Formats: sequence, C-alpha cells, structure tokens
Amino acid sequence: MSLALATGMADLGRTLREGGIPVALGDEIDAARVLARLPGADREEARSALRIALKIRRGDWALFDALLDAVLSRTDPNPVGPRPTASVDGRRSGRTATGARAEVEVEASEAAGEGSSPGYSPAALLRSKPFEACTASDLAAMESVLARLAARLATRRSRRLVPSRGRGVADLRRSLRRALSTGGEMLAFARRTRAVEETRLVFLVDTSGSMEANARFLLAFVLALGRTARSTEVFAFNTELVRLTGRLGAGGIAGTLERLAASVPDWSGGTRIGDCLARFVAEHHHRVDARTVVVVLSDGLDRGEPADLAEAMRAIAGRARRLLWLNPLLGDPRYEPTARGMAAALPFVDALLPAHDLASLEALVPRLSA
Amino acid sequence: MSPEIQGMLEALERNGYVADRAIATALFLASDLEKPLLVEGDAGVGKTEIAKVLARILGTELIRLQCYEGLDVATALYEWNYPRQMLRVRLSERDGPATSDTEAAIFGRDYLLERPLLRAITRPDRPPVLLVDEIDRADDGFEAFLLELLSDFQVTIPELGTVKAQHVPRVILTSNRTREIGDALRRRCLYLYVEHPDLAKEVRIIQLRVPEAGAELAGEIARFVQALRKRRLAKVPGVAETLDWAEALVRLDVRHLETEAVGATLGCLLKDRDDLTEVSRGGLAEPVADARGGNPP
Repeated sequence: MSLALATGMADLGRTLREGGIPVALGDEIDAARVLARLPGADREEARSALRIALKIRRGDWALFDALLDAVLSRTDPNPVGPRPTASVDGRRSGRTATGARAEVEVEASEAAGEGSSPGYSPAALLRSKPFEACTASDLAAMESVLARLAARLATRRSRRLVPSRGRGVADLRRSLRRALSTGGEMLAFARRTRAVEETRLVFLVDTSGSMEANARFLLAFVLALGRTARSTEVFAFNTELVRLTGRLGAGGIAGTLERLAASVPDWSGGTRIGDCLARFVAEHHHRVDARTVVVVLSDGLDRGEPADLAEAMRAIAGRARRLLWLNPLLGDPRYEPTARGMAAALPFVDALLPAHDLASLEALVPRLSA
Repeated sequence: MSPEIQGMLEALERNGYVADRAIATALFLASDLEKPLLVEGDAGVGKTEIAKVLARILGTELIRLQCYEGLDVATALYEWNYPRQMLRVRLSERDGPATSDTEAAIFGRDYLLERPLLRAITRPDRPPVLLVDEIDRADDGFEAFLLELLSDFQVTIPELGTVKAQHVPRVILTSNRTREIGDALRRRCLYLYVEHPDLAKEVRIIQLRVPEAGAELAGEIARFVQALRKRRLAKVPGVAETLDWAEALVRLDVRHLETEAVGATLGCLLKDRDDLTEVSRGGLAEPVADARGGNPP
C-alpha cells in the first residue's frame, strides 16, 4: 500500500468520524485494500467500493458522499485512489481548500437533516435549557426504586432451548452422554426448556414545552430501564427526532439528563408528533420487531397533521408486539383523550396509561414484559 | 469501469441476474479479499438470489443456512446421530468390549451429522458458497458464534477435536433489518445495500426472467410498479412480486395493462389488506393509463 493511499484513507476516516459516521480502523484497512485492488477506478466506482468497504448504512449515504467529495477536493490533485485518473471531474479546481470545506459542511448538515420535519417554529430555536427543581437526592432515591422495577422485566420465554432440571423436552445429546456412564442404560432423560429472555423496549419520549415537567422524570425511568434491559432504545422528539441510545450510560442519571438537555435540539420547544413518528418509522423501523414493546411518552398535544400521526402509529402498531402510550395528563381524573393528536393515535394503541408519578410507572412494568 | 468489475457484471448477466455496478463491485471485492459479504435491503430486492448466482458463476455448491429465532448449534453446525450411537452401544454391550472403545467409536466421524456450517468448511474439492440467510432473525448468541466461525473458519467439536476449513467458503449473509446486526459482525464483512431497481433495470429483469411478457408489457409492468413504490405503502412490492405479477399477466393472456386485469391480479403485488384498499380506492384507471402511456410516473 502506498503512503499516499494510507494518508488519504486516514484523512477520510477522520473526516467521516468527525462528520458523525462511525468508521473503525479495520474499515479503513478494508477500504485501502479495496482501492489498491481497483487501480483504474473512476470516481463513481471508487465511491461505490468505499461504501461497501467502509460499511456505510443506506441512511448515511448522502452525508458520506458530501464528506468524501470534501476529502477528494482537499487532496487535490490526487484523489483517494492510488493514482490520479483521467475521468475525475474538474469541479474541484479553482476552489480553495477552506472554501470547499465550508461549502461541504453546509451540504453535509442539509443531508443530515434530510427527511426531518420542516420544523414547527421557523426559527427552530436551538434552545438548551437546564433542568430545574428535582434535587439530586430525589433522583438518587428514585433510582433504586426504578432499578428494582426494571429488574422485573426479564420474563419473556425465548424459543431457544437451554438445559433444565426436570421439565421440558428430552435432550438426546446430554441423555446419551449420561447413559454412557451406566453402560448405555438410559435411566433418565436430560431435558431442555425455553430460555427466559429480556424484553426489547423502544421508548419515544416527548420533550416539548408542554411535557417539560414530566419529561425529565420519565427519562429517568427510561434510563433506569436501559441499564437492566440490555436492548432498550430511547428516542427524544419535539420538532425533531433524536436517537439517545448511544448517549445514555456513563455517569449517574442526573448527569446524563444534564447532558441530554444540552445536546437535544429544541429541548422543550413545540411538538410535531406525527412528523417525528413518521421519521422514526422511515429510519428506525428495523429496531421494532415482534419481540419489541414500543412506548410513547407524550401528552398528545400535536401541532402537526393528525393524519400523519395516525399513519405512523398504524405502521408501528403493525410491527411491534405491543404499543403503549403513557400520558401524564391521565393523572387528572377529569382528563379525556380528545386532543386532536391523542384522538388520532388512540385506535392504534394497545393501552393508554397514566404516567404522572412513581406509582403509575410501577403499574406499567408488568405490561412491558407481558 | 475496471475490467474485473466489468467481467463480474457480465458473468452475473450470463447467469440470469441483472446486476448494477454496486453489486458487481461488492461481489468482486468479497471474492478477491476473501471477506464475507453482508447484504441488506428491503424484502424482495434479490438478496438471496445474489448468493445463488454467485454459486452458479463459480460452478460450486451452494450451502444455505436459514436463520430463525432459536436456531442452535445442533441445527446449524453438527449433531450426533443418536439412534445409531444407541444401536452401537447396545451391540457392544452384548459383545462386551471395553466402554472406552465404544465411546471412541460412537463419537467418531461416522456418527456425526454435518449441518450447513460444518459442511461449508469440510468440502474437500473446492470452496462452496455459504449463504447465511436472514441473519437478523437469529438471536444475538448465534451471531456471536457465527462471528467466531467467520474469523477462524474452524470449529471445535469437544468429542472430536478441531476441524479446520479445507477451503475458506465464500460467505454471503443477508439481512432484512428486522434487527440491527451487531457491530462486530458488521465490521468483519464487506457491506452491500441493495435498492429497488430503477425503471430500466426492472424492465430488463422482467424481460430476462419472463421473456413471454414481451417488451411492451414489460415496460408497462415496470412503470406501474415503479409508480406504486413511490406511494406510502406498508409493504412495498419487490422484484419478486413484479415477476410474480408479470407471470400472472402472461398466464391470463394480457397483452397490455387494463384496469380490470390489474384489479384482478393486484394481489400478486400488494400483500397487505390496507395497501390493497388504499390503492384500489384511488381508482386504477389513472395509474394504468400512466403506465401504458409511458409517461414518467
């Protein structure tokens, strides 16, 4: 492998990582090997080969293309490929390196926002608001209760068979092994039974202004669940949909919540539930399968089109094992689910449950593992 | 285009698979670098077909492992032939040799049933194509096991010892993304995302696979399906559905799309009740006319 190729690849890898596309060293090595193997490749061919070698997901293609073009124009006149080729387009010439970079950054951010809602407030204020009230000791006390609740989740029976005592179907392999010690006389069958498996959970948490007081509390619950149940996906939405799953973890619940408020755009802004859920369906539907319980945490006060919401709810309900809607407003006995958004979503929901205090969350747990 | 990729493209075509450059590039690179290829894409875009056609091109055996939840080593890798083992134990009991001899015998190769994964690494003559279909349906534990197999191409059977691959098989994994594939497995592979074909490609696929349809009907069918894919549907029809539909229309002696025939055979394309109602409600006359008129949908 030539030095130029190696440096070019390292540059590309770094640019992709900075741009938010996860690329590991092993992928870069694959990519370099691929390019070394295709010396005559033109730009389109190199692009296609790089997507294959770097394992770029379909949703990241637009962003990847923009970043790749940026790197290619930076390393002018040498493209990432080991040799310059005749068919590389001439667009790059005449641009300064910094100019090209700035332009591509705009393209990249546009690409990243592709498919998202136009945003309810035209300014889509990127407000970052600190969480108020609720002291650290409150949260700490809650944490242990929530963890206990979460531990009760692992109750679903898998189809995978594991050795068991006494019950289940005969396990011939183990039975025969045992029989050898008694001269081939099978005194008792060894048995296997279905394994107990964790529930898969997907949470969609509304962090809009009308939910602000509750969102924090609910997210704390979701975070506690995420620690026990391994496969828990968490999304926050208001006018945009943000996947939080990767950002949970390190630090206590309080610390994580601080970070989230800082990093989620438009935290406590308006809501477009339908658009956000439609986006979830379009981009993340593979995270929902027949083993997954999907929980929407929202008051259903939607500024968008109810038909969009209904459409998205239908799609989710069709894939998921259960679809639950937690509405903090249900804590008030006089509340009726007549808000336009709530009414549109209701036909597709398996259960509409209150979520205004710890007791209501406690009642939720058995439903999650059902 | 690089000559190697051009060559692969032509080989695919010769074997009845209308490919595009991305697919040809991925197949060539996977063979050349001896890496497994992970193929993702919507249902019905021809993922499984890629493995089949690769086996035809290489003139080698296709070994297929269909994944499902609860798939275990006994089904995927190997199993002992219990009835035979039992028989042997009984016989030796009567004749009376030492237990250790019996054990050595019944845990030998003769009593081993090879399942797809073991078969794939023990072919003596040439490397087979191993298709691990719908890996997303297997559980995480199986994925981890597969990862181990794909890195070393050897398996350890406690009673027999380690079996090492004679030839490293060409591995193709497919996924419908009903579950996200683990990062470790993804990194071990090259990655190909197959999209629905564009109009020109779909016409060629129909002509290649259902030649009775004729150029005009093939064009109309492809235009109709392409327009359908742009609508909001729960289950978007794939190439497999297009071909089913084309065959159905040919069976019914349809020469050109017409509202009545389309309405009667729409079930070949749309396999969801809500989709059917949705599409029928808007009336079929207009989309059929668009497809026949050749207007870009």
